Amino acid sequence: MASKANKPELLVNGKRLDGRAFDELRPLRISAGVVKNANGSAYLEWGNNKVLVAVYGPKEVVPRRDADPAKAVLRCRYQMAPFSSLEGHGRTGPNRRATEISKVIREAFENVVLLEEFPNNEIDVYIEILQSDGGTRAAGLTAASVALANAGIPMKDLVYAVSAGRIDEHVVLDLNMIEDNYSDADMPTAIAHRNGDILLLQMDGGLTKEQFHTALGMIQEAGKKISAIQRQALIDVYSAPGEEVKR
Amino acid sequence: MKSIIIPGDEVKEGVSSVNVYVEDGKSLASAVGFYDEQGKRIVPLEGTWTPKIDDTVVGTIEEVGRNNTYTVDLCSFRTGVLLLGKYSRSVLKVGEVIEAIVDRINGKKEVILSNPKELRGGMVLKIKPTKIPRVLGKANTMAKQISEIARCDMIIGSNGLIWLRGGDIALATEVILRIEREAHMPGLTEKIKEVLISKSKNNERKIE
Repeated sequence: MASKANKPELLVNGKRLDGRAFDELRPLRISAGVVKNANGSAYLEWGNNKVLVAVYGPKEVVPRRDADPAKAVLRCRYQMAPFSSLEGHGRTGPNRRATEISKVIREAFENVVLLEEFPNNEIDVYIEILQSDGGTRAAGLTAASVALANAGIPMKDLVYAVSAGRIDEHVVLDLNMIEDNYSDADMPTAIAHRNGDILLLQMDGGLTKEQFHTALGMIQEAGKKISAIQRQALIDVYSAPGEEVKR
Repeated sequence: MKSIIIPGDEVKEGVSSVNVYVEDGKSLASAVGFYDEQGKRIVPLEGTWTPKIDDTVVGTIEEVGRNNTYTVDLCSFRTGVLLLGKYSRSVLKVGEVIEAIVDRINGKKEVILSNPKELRGGMVLKIKPTKIPRVLGKANTMAKQISEIARCDMIIGSNGLIWLRGGDIALATEVILRIEREAHMPGLTEKIKEVLISKSKNNERKIE
């Protein structure tokens, strides 16, 4: 297990283990509309993370007693595939961690999805982590946002998420698995891209006030890139081979 | 090619309020779609069918209730209800396909249907409800073209179900699925016409 005692060197010659700069994202790729049976879907590759999200609904709530006559019920299920991780996390079935992440993702989306348009209905978001390498809740949330828009669920805004953390005194962006396990702080954050509302903010470890503001600044800066990729993924669904879509 | 709008994008003033929400005095899109200059509205590319009065729908009888009342499966998040009343002569069975018109939407957000017509035989095709206006075409040109050239009976429900019978069903299906895939492309009516004419001749030759 990760502990101070067996902590590896996370910085070599002023660079991170995978050669990235402190404020550099891992390569991100998103494609939308990949699951034909679903109303909307997205597949995301973020470094070594691979995430598949499918959205179903609006549809009748089952069981019926959970229905809300004022608005739709949003349900999120975050789950790691049994083969997704090297150890531990990927065991089958719901566990504390998956339940918590499902909850925080749901609460982030309840702020942007216009649930009042579908009273007595539910919207299901299934987030499957196929391969994990740190920052899967951010990756899941980023992909789920694209999948919801692809499903035509009315929403105010797209949401992006990314984590920032601290290695010794350096604030770093988008931690991978090994940095996540041994770093001194990890702060996944989800932000609505148009008005900058913070919809999810969690933190392990500790940051000083200055470090927190540096981290948030890095996240907001990276958000521009992530939002652009999300937007492009949604537009690319409609571009036929050989025909250029106007941007 | 029209430029595509994403949720959160600002839209021009005076746009119809469908698929639009207002925040801080700005009109913003809430769906993926494109801007229609003439209609001054956002045309969604994905999404569900929102029932409107006088919409034609195609559905399957799901449940038979008392006094000639029926629940109709519309393949939507809203269920259809058909209230024919005791004195009505027509009797429908579970599993039968009907065409009906939306009469009103009640407080429980059920779709009340009227003027049911039973559709015998044929097949039902399901496509995305947002693509239905394109299958109909301007003043139903596209729909007329398909049913004339493929020589089949066709009823298009705005809930995304299309009923087809007779003629060259395979060709009609192929063309409708192509419209669904390419609904956002310009000049589709002409393209579909070419496909229809060339393929229908081909098929006739095979039959001979």
